[in-house]
Amino acid sequence: MNIKASGLKRILFTVVIALVIGAVLILMIGENPIEAYQALFKGAFKGKFGFGNTVATFTPLLLTSIAFAVAAQAGAFNVGVEGEVFLGGIAAAYIGVNFTFLPKPILLITCFLGAMVVAGAWATIPAVLKAYYGVSEVCTTILMNTVAVYITSYLVSGPMSAGTANAQSHSVAVNLPQFMKPSSANVGVFIAIVIVVLVAIMLYKTKFGYKIRVVGTNPAFADCIGINSKKVFINSMILSGAIGGIAGCIEVLGVHGYFLNNFAVGLGSNGMLAALIARSNVVLTPFLAFFLSILKAGAMGMQQSTGVPKALVDTIIAIFIIVATMETLFEFKKKIKRKVKKEKGEAKA
Amino acid sequence: MSEYVVEMKDIQKSFGSVKAVKNGFFTAKKGEIHSLIGENGAGKSTMMKLLFGMYPIDEGEILINGNNTDKLTPKIAIDHGIGMVHQEFMLVGELTVLENIILGFEPQKGLKIDFDAAKKEVKKYIEQYHMDIQLEKKVNQISVGEAQRVEIIKTLMRGAEIIILDEPTAVLTPQEAQHLFKILMNLKKDHKTIVFISHKLNEVMNISDRISVMRQGQYIDTVEKGNTSPLELTKLMIGREVFLNIDKTYSKAGKTVLEVEDVWIPSQKETSKIRGMSFHVNEGEIVGVAGIDGNGQSELVEAIIGLREVEKGSIKLSGKNIANKKTRAIRKSGLSVIPEDRNTQGLNREMSIADNLAAVEMDRVPYSKGFMIRQEAIVQNAKEKVEAFDIRPDDYNLPTSSLSGGNAQKVVVAREVSMDNKLLIAAQPTRGVDIGAIESIRNSLEKAKKEGTAVLLVSAELEEIISLSDRIIVIHEGKITGEMPADEANENNLGLLMMGGTHE
Amino acid sequence: MSAIIENVDKIFNVSLIYATFRSATPIIFAALCAALTQQANILNIGTEGIMLVGSFTAVGVSYLTGNWVIGVLAAMISGAFIASIMAVGHIKYNAEICAIGMGINMLALAVTKLLLNVIFKTNGTFSDPKIVPIPKVHFAFMDDIPVLNQLLNNWSITEWLAIVLILVLQFLFYKTVWGLRLRAVGQFAMAAQTAGIKVTQIKYQAMIASGLMGGLAGAHLSLGYSTQFVENMTNNRGFMGVAAMYFGGANPILTALGCLLFGFADSVGARLQAYGIPSQFVLMMPYIVTIVILAISMYVKYRNNKRKESSLLAPKAQLKTQG
Repeated sequence: MNIKASGLKRILFTVVIALVIGAVLILMIGENPIEAYQALFKGAFKGKFGFGNTVATFTPLLLTSIAFAVAAQAGAFNVGVEGEVFLGGIAAAYIGVNFTFLPKPILLITCFLGAMVVAGAWATIPAVLKAYYGVSEVCTTILMNTVAVYITSYLVSGPMSAGTANAQSHSVAVNLPQFMKPSSANVGVFIAIVIVVLVAIMLYKTKFGYKIRVVGTNPAFADCIGINSKKVFINSMILSGAIGGIAGCIEVLGVHGYFLNNFAVGLGSNGMLAALIARSNVVLTPFLAFFLSILKAGAMGMQQSTGVPKALVDTIIAIFIIVATMETLFEFKKKIKRKVKKEKGEAKA
Repeated sequence: MSEYVVEMKDIQKSFGSVKAVKNGFFTAKKGEIHSLIGENGAGKSTMMKLLFGMYPIDEGEILINGNNTDKLTPKIAIDHGIGMVHQEFMLVGELTVLENIILGFEPQKGLKIDFDAAKKEVKKYIEQYHMDIQLEKKVNQISVGEAQRVEIIKTLMRGAEIIILDEPTAVLTPQEAQHLFKILMNLKKDHKTIVFISHKLNEVMNISDRISVMRQGQYIDTVEKGNTSPLELTKLMIGREVFLNIDKTYSKAGKTVLEVEDVWIPSQKETSKIRGMSFHVNEGEIVGVAGIDGNGQSELVEAIIGLREVEKGSIKLSGKNIANKKTRAIRKSGLSVIPEDRNTQGLNREMSIADNLAAVEMDRVPYSKGFMIRQEAIVQNAKEKVEAFDIRPDDYNLPTSSLSGGNAQKVVVAREVSMDNKLLIAAQPTRGVDIGAIESIRNSLEKAKKEGTAVLLVSAELEEIISLSDRIIVIHEGKITGEMPADEANENNLGLLMMGGTHE
Repeated sequence: MSAIIENVDKIFNVSLIYATFRSATPIIFAALCAALTQQANILNIGTEGIMLVGSFTAVGVSYLTGNWVIGVLAAMISGAFIASIMAVGHIKYNAEICAIGMGINMLALAVTKLLLNVIFKTNGTFSDPKIVPIPKVHFAFMDDIPVLNQLLNNWSITEWLAIVLILVLQFLFYKTVWGLRLRAVGQFAMAAQTAGIKVTQIKYQAMIASGLMGGLAGAHLSLGYSTQFVENMTNNRGFMGVAAMYFGGANPILTALGCLLFGFADSVGARLQAYGIPSQFVLMMPYIVTIVILAISMYVKYRNNKRKESSLLAPKAQLKTQG
């Protein structure tokens, strides 16, 4: 409990620092930071459209952040979630367009399963290379992201193309209902929340979760007590990939209704940011994902009503994460305490 | 100037919440061999690391040649003429011996390092002290004894007048140790000051001029060698008269539990490869494996528990071949392990005492049922074990990283011994733990044996091997060089075999 | 397919050699940037971001001052600045290197986008005749010798510089005092510390040197390889550099050889496009080649180690254990 409380405190500190640096940047551009932030939050919450947008941004971010966090819990740095979103999306689109002989509910489930299988299989490649031959998964997953983007891009401008001006697939035969129109918020958000809850339970209450945590904190110990650390590492990467695939599936079935070329650029990396800030704690990560969604969704509103460009929000988020990664930055308080104690001790002597 | 070249007064040093040194005091005279003795964890290494500037002191003062030194770093210490040979060698394995020796004060010619000049300089020392070192080899290809000589040359090259050796004989055979002592005597003749850290009284009595004793982080006393005896030193070190002699019971050997037949095991180091080894361990007996560290002990243990490939031969546990099987399966068929490296293999330092105590059996009833883990059972188990094995502090929710070495090891022992398995492998079970824990851990092993467990004990402490084992096998460079009943063993005949000599 | 076979001589000809080198150079610089920190055992995931900031700074300063030298120097300084943020975070505040490296990459992407908006009031691409590129080295005597002309003439200055820097780093790592200390720090920091070496100082120096190199990588990309700045123009070249560095074990010459393989895949791909291969396949080629080469090189290393470790080999000349 204590650890969580201090984690929360640290994150709040980081939020403040990032927003202050952001304010300084806004001042340098010659705008009023308070107005800009007001516009940002208005953009994120005002009206059905504003809040709906935030929810719509939140859905994939929640899933990609949890996908990254699950892999991180087993000690993997899975930058490949983005590629897994793309491949999950294309798999769902393929099934949704071509398997129309299935009854709708079954088709829906098949789309999800297909997305999970394809994305999970994709994640297996870097996982195996890392577990058995020590190939840096950071490198391979980053490079594989680009490959995944080109593969899907080829498919929707070639074999799966709907023949429209934009590269995109035909419309899928089954959709996730939207609410809060005209935003693209859809029931996928509830699916995402359920998945996150399941992941948290899995991680802290089940044997598999225990294994993941053991391997993530000390693989040598895991091996010694009879947990196959390589297998667990690979499995957690597959799970991570499958969750990324679900994110892609929800985007295709719930937001667009078809596979749009390049639709998921940034989804994976933003999720990774949320998880990194929360140090992949699966309880804190969803809140960070929500906070980043507010910033992202509100950025448009801010750009429109003030002269502050959207890119500023990305800058703030980047600073946010850089500060958050510095583990010992906030230890100055402890140090002071220790010093005070010592001085007291001396006074007694 | 005072008669001392080194004076350390009222030293205090804490690591986190652990007070490693409480009131440290130490002096050394020019040209003496001064031993610093104490049990594991008494703070002797820490004291000398402070003198060498590896950590800053919290309180107190350090005078070198009468000069007060504030904020020591290794660099400043070296400039003051201090050199240290660490217990774990501070040599970069991928660099050559020569590169290692000159590291930090390399002679230059233009932009390049002047290797020729360096070689000439080093050769002088090699000849002066008859050191026998191969300069062009990479460090990871030389033997332990040679690496130690490299470390000594390193200190001399840096102009050391005061040389600290931290447990230098722990990695040597008794015979190699004699060779080292000759070198130390030669250094003394050249008016170098030697600080010799050890907990082996016979060695200390052999070479010292003066002896300082530490206990539990505190300075106890400094005595002249001529005025003391091993018995008095023991009392000073331990604070009470303790005899670690376990009442050994000689049980009749039962059925064979572990049978190793002509196994061949790979290793990174040439001298650690196991090449054709056979032995067996019976029910209710402790078989000790003696040998200098790095002669294949770790590889053997890893192979038996399924963490290292067996390239040839068989390992049978109760008649079933377990070579190259998964650790999980081997453990299920009746194996317990106290691994050599407590902090990486024995414990998960970031998890709680309770989780660590249940770790091996987590996927079995009562700790889990179906997919789910049962927290109540884990807590129940923790309560019992913490009590039974006297693990302190008794808050089983604490991470094991907050425990002292001895208590951390008790967690491992508690977990492994209480599974009542047929075979128990104990690798260096008492390394780096305090005297109280040593007693309790050795008693646990003895108890397991009495209950019929077959125990394979691997230890670098000859005293431990001799006092606990029923039978002893000695290994050298991956081969068995001798086997004998424990009551025929002594430091001399074991030492000879450990060096690769033959029995009789 | 048949078109490719018929035109195989047009795909594989003398000009392919320079084309390979040309597309490899940005990656070579990036790989050297990564190798500098790797020797100190720091994985420079931020190479991509350092390089991107360098690209932007080079174009911006060259445009504003009309001087490419100042542009390149500014790029190097900006690279060092970004690297020092990472250095302070990692070395002083214990930030996990992958995490802060990815943070740096995000920051670079966002900041360059932001500054493109704010300073140059544009989105996506910035190109302008006022941007002064890095000049090319022209040897008049080569004009009449077709092979030499195709091979060596009209290289940009930084392309020559890349070759020089590979050799300089090779010398630096393996022959100089700083190189020896750097390697000692990377392989066993504690040993270096007890030898009186200031470990953190060496690490900082390596990071800053790496930043200078990364900035240069970026400047070459935006002023030598092209003459413009495009959002995210590094396009994972930094990561390819990191992969090449792994391939070469941070040895500059081996690392550069790895980069040439990627350059080869890239330029062959570009030629194949003319013969009906879908552009996406061409574009993903260097990435796939990178992954495959990385995987193979690590696998070979794994096999070799295993062979070396085997107990079944006859023991080498017995080591002396008695002094």
